[in-house]
Amino acid sequence: MRRRLAALGLGLVLLAGCGGSDDTVVPEPEAAPAAPAAPATTEPCENDGSQVASYDPGEGSVDGAAVERIRERGRLIAGVAADTYLLGARNAGSGVIEGFDIDMVNAIAASIFGEAEGHVELKVITAADRIPFLQDGTIDIVSRNMTVNCTRWQQVAFSQVYYAAGQKVLVGSDTGIETIEDLADKRICAPAGTTSIDNIQTIQPDAIPVSSTDNSACMILFQNGEADGVSTDDTVLAGLAAQDPYATVLKTDVLSPEPYGIATNSDDVDLVRLINRTLEQMRRDGRWQESYQTWIQGPLGVAGVQPEPVYGR
Amino acid sequence: MTQTAGAPAPTTVATAPATPAVPAPAAASARDLTEDVPRLLNRLQVLAVAACVLFGALAAILQVLSWQANGRAADNTEQVVRVQQIQSLLLRADAVATNSYLVGGLEPAAARAEYDESIETVLRLVADAAEAQPADRRVLADLNTAISSYTTSVAQARDYNRQQLVIGIAYLNDARTAMRSDVLPITEALADANAERATDEMGGQSPLWLLLAGAVALGALVVVNRQVAQRFHRRYNVGLVVAAVIVAAVTLATAWHAQSEHNDNESLQAGEYAAAVDAASARTAANNAKAIESLGLVNRGSGESVYEPLWQDQAEIVRDTADALTLMDWEAYVEAHAAIRDADDGGDWDAAVALATDTADGSATALLDQVDASAALEAETNGAQAAEGFRSGGSFSLVLIVVTGLGALIAAFAASRGIGTRRREYA
Repeated sequence: MRRRLAALGLGLVLLAGCGGSDDTVVPEPEAAPAAPAAPATTEPCENDGSQVASYDPGEGSVDGAAVERIRERGRLIAGVAADTYLLGARNAGSGVIEGFDIDMVNAIAASIFGEAEGHVELKVITAADRIPFLQDGTIDIVSRNMTVNCTRWQQVAFSQVYYAAGQKVLVGSDTGIETIEDLADKRICAPAGTTSIDNIQTIQPDAIPVSSTDNSACMILFQNGEADGVSTDDTVLAGLAAQDPYATVLKTDVLSPEPYGIATNSDDVDLVRLINRTLEQMRRDGRWQESYQTWIQGPLGVAGVQPEPVYGR
Repeated sequence: MTQTAGAPAPTTVATAPATPAVPAPAAASARDLTEDVPRLLNRLQVLAVAACVLFGALAAILQVLSWQANGRAADNTEQVVRVQQIQSLLLRADAVATNSYLVGGLEPAAARAEYDESIETVLRLVADAAEAQPADRRVLADLNTAISSYTTSVAQARDYNRQQLVIGIAYLNDARTAMRSDVLPITEALADANAERATDEMGGQSPLWLLLAGAVALGALVVVNRQVAQRFHRRYNVGLVVAAVIVAAVTLATAWHAQSEHNDNESLQAGEYAAAVDAASARTAANNAKAIESLGLVNRGSGESVYEPLWQDQAEIVRDTADALTLMDWEAYVEAHAAIRDADDGGDWDAAVALATDTADGSATALLDQVDASAALEAETNGAQAAEGFRSGGSFSLVLIVVTGLGALIAAFAASRGIGTRRREYA
């Protein structure tokens, strides 16, 4: 009996010794709910060259309801980028957002108010914000390296092309990558949802696509060794290369043309005409060339030519 | 040698009280002819002793488990507070880093020192947490890795910002992404797991089981007493009665103590423990709000449309969880925050940044510091009181455990002696 009692007692003591906890587990992140399919607001179309045609400033009012609205408010509200060096970026020293795209905004504000000082409100927006913010009136214009195409014309209006950019590739200096052919088996990053990766794969099918949220995030992957190159507009790449002495933009033909336009709400035709008139004034008085030389010419290494206007809407 | 029931009943009673003899029923008389009474007494003695010993062991084990549960509740409470402190400090460091980015390339030395101090404290707390709870170690190792990734991105953002290169903002955004997608899910899982453990342990008192164990033991003693009484014409066996009294007394005392501890735990859970958790939640949300406020200015022009709704979410958490004093400080900060938003929304971004980065008394940063300090003190004080409360009564519990063991042994001895007396009478 003593043995049995002893065994029982031992068992109970062992039971009392139990008290450990199960290991902590971090739950898997919940999958984001699938976004509802966007209503089909655009029709399929072909970029046959007519998409770059805008409104002729000589064939209509440049002082209609949209311009009057801005004038009454006292400031032009522009959607811009703050992280795209050379085009639209916040100067860490002064806190001022500056660049080629910002010069365009200031020129348009000066056309409306006589001077830009005190009449410009810059809103830093993402690429995805551009069209919705124009449509709901949050901003008057978008000057944020926005490519003109026929699909977007169905949603917003564009000025004449103010800069003819093109897709290129940034790689590490002295890595032996000098041509598109050398990109075979290399990891090339481009922002998710863009046509940049498709263009790369069309020209070099053996390239390995890597996507990230935006151009800067791709640059982080490149600098951390998680991508061998970044592919996007040459102006953006010039800005990224200017911040990294170990990066260079491949001297190749553009993989696809990216004509930049300043976008407005589709109804603001008078504002578009005013912008086109402003761009022509900048051509004549040299402000466009001066801005190009200040921001882009050095890093890009080629002289700039302001695109000729195309009208016909 | 085996004796039969036919032997004459003993004529002397050593310890039994003078109880009237009860004639055995006829059926029992017939059974008595074949019953092996000494052997039966042996069995009844084993049963009575076993009932007492088992009761003592079981009651002691239940009390040890309850005592341990209270100790673990205290440990888990401390771990909850520790993990929430890690979370709050990380978000505070994030708020400081984001705010510093607004100042420009040259980060203020005081802000840099505060960021470094927060991260150093976090890393020490992670080490303390790993030592305190082995079940958290694997996840805490992952947390260390995630924090390292976050601080690396912040350092890179700081380096680029100092060189006035805009790629710095991409690294800052990368750091914030790492914080939200990698770091905070881990700290939240740790806080949830330890809160669940603490709550489970708070319910570790077992008065009903003690009552049940006592009732079973008493039932066994009653049955034994009845069996003995049927054969010896004595209603009560003194030894068994003494054993039953001891078992009943121990049962009532331990059950009362367990119920008392249970009530205390419920009070602590609804009081100091909940206050500590709420204060830590308020502190975390307040620091998160400040980081969001700065981010709204870093991403100039998007503060109202993109970041203000996120700020409001955090403000709601603060209002739901902060204590009265912290809430007063918070409302003062809310006014300062509104001034920042008004300036930014009115197109005067420079004025908004000046307000957001000012550290003078009455500035948004200084007011948020007061919120942080108040909530931290509230969380720390209540957490310590809750842990102390769970551990209080431990000495009395240990004394009661010893008393239970001794009482059970004395009860077993008394029961054994009581039946032994009958056996000697029979012999």
